[in-house]
Amino acid sequence: MICEKCNKNHATVHVTEVINGVKKEAHLCEECARSTGVGIKFTFSISDILGNLMESKPGKQSERMAQLKCSECGMTYTEFKQKARLGCANDYEVFRAGLVPLLEKIHQATQHVGKTPHTADTQIKKENELVRLKRELDGLVKSESFEKAAEVRDRIRTLETELNKNPEK
Amino acid sequence: MKVDDLLSQAGEWLKGTGPESDVVMSSRVRLARNLHRFPFLTVAPVAERTAIESYVRERLQEVLGSRKIHYFSMARMNAIDRTLLVERHLVSREHAQGEGDRGVAVSQDESTSIMVNEEDHLRLQVLRSGLNLEEAWESIDRLDSLLEQHMSYAFHPRFGYLTACPTNVGTGLRISVMVHLPAAVFSKQMDKVLQSLARLNYTVRGLYGEGTSPIGDFYQVSNQITLGKAERDIIGELKKVIPEVLKFERSWRHKLVEDEPRRLEDKVWRAYGILKHARTITSEETIELFSALRLGVNLGMIQGIPINTLNELFIFTQPSHLQKIEKKALEAEERDIVRAEYIRKKLATSTQ
Repeated sequence: MICEKCNKNHATVHVTEVINGVKKEAHLCEECARSTGVGIKFTFSISDILGNLMESKPGKQSERMAQLKCSECGMTYTEFKQKARLGCANDYEVFRAGLVPLLEKIHQATQHVGKTPHTADTQIKKENELVRLKRELDGLVKSESFEKAAEVRDRIRTLETELNKNPEK
Repeated sequence: MKVDDLLSQAGEWLKGTGPESDVVMSSRVRLARNLHRFPFLTVAPVAERTAIESYVRERLQEVLGSRKIHYFSMARMNAIDRTLLVERHLVSREHAQGEGDRGVAVSQDESTSIMVNEEDHLRLQVLRSGLNLEEAWESIDRLDSLLEQHMSYAFHPRFGYLTACPTNVGTGLRISVMVHLPAAVFSKQMDKVLQSLARLNYTVRGLYGEGTSPIGDFYQVSNQITLGKAERDIIGELKKVIPEVLKFERSWRHKLVEDEPRRLEDKVWRAYGILKHARTITSEETIELFSALRLGVNLGMIQGIPINTLNELFIFTQPSHLQKIEKKALEAEERDIVRAEYIRKKLATSTQ
């Protein structure tokens, strides 16, 4: 196979990737792959199209967002949109308004429910567990596994009492 | 352990002994972690980067001991050695081609590696032969819990483990299962697999080659979602999805054996013939032929070649491995000659 770009050399770098059902292919020689930067990063991944996911309608809010800058690492929101990479932990707070809808698009969720460091507050651990259990309960009810659902509901109640929250309805 | 020592051994995960190894090459789990109170590498100045590397390296050596792991400082390695680590699946290509102070800690059996200063401060990885997600997860979870007792991670009650890229935030967990789907490709059924996996939010990448080319019917299936699901649920879902892929591939293998035995046998035996006798061979052709040969071995058409020999050939016929074996830099054409010779020898000693 001949390189698609220079049409001269033998193509040795091939890329195929499917993201959200869209298939992309490229066949390049080593040299062209390197010169186009493909050699360094030859996969298209969701992180590459993050910028597009963040495109927001021009308006007051996006103007305000563009002004945002993290006082700890110095990264601006505009810079984040270009790089698709954050500069420090604090950015998650500073850019929160822009991040939440983005996370919703990528992960279809915005609340962590997995592992927590052992140093994390037990309060946080319990709250995360609560969110996770509620989601599990929804699934169980949908699939009509009522016996298991009852067990999960009991655990939710216990946790809620521990967290001094009133059980919902 | 030196980089050269890797040449006299083969990773534990290459043994081909894991479950479902006729279709699944390997299972990989990865956790992305960053240190509390340090800037991410996106903005970290050179001095800070150096500080992070030495801090993490010291902690790793202190906690894991230098007998259990070996630390490679990548900034001081040459390009061939760095690429060797990529070919070994111990570091990412980005890490090998990156800049500045960075490194990787590797366990003796190569099943565990910890990249330092890749996109995140730490990238933990555990590899297992075949489909073995549970064991891989338990191993990485233990490692992670041990490490977090000695360094504090950036963690947020709402967003979980914080990562430089929002696509990894939450659990920081990326699971990748490498599958060999020659019958699905041969029967032009791959689009179905790719599309249904994409619909379920899994990313599929073609694999291997001098780049990470999709030749040879090898595909890597990974989860896209890292936030809003517990680790066990992410694993549980993949554990339900992968068997469907296996079932699909096996049914097409069966169909090929039933409907087109001559065409299939011809493909397999031709591949074997070329590999056994070629005098020069590109890595691209090698992988395509290995794929056919692997299928033939798994279908019992060809006997006497253990799967681990095939797996090892895969790894050792890559460019940096060949150059390390020959102890010199080789141009692509020279590598093709050395590669053909290496394969001939290996196949001659492993069979009849």
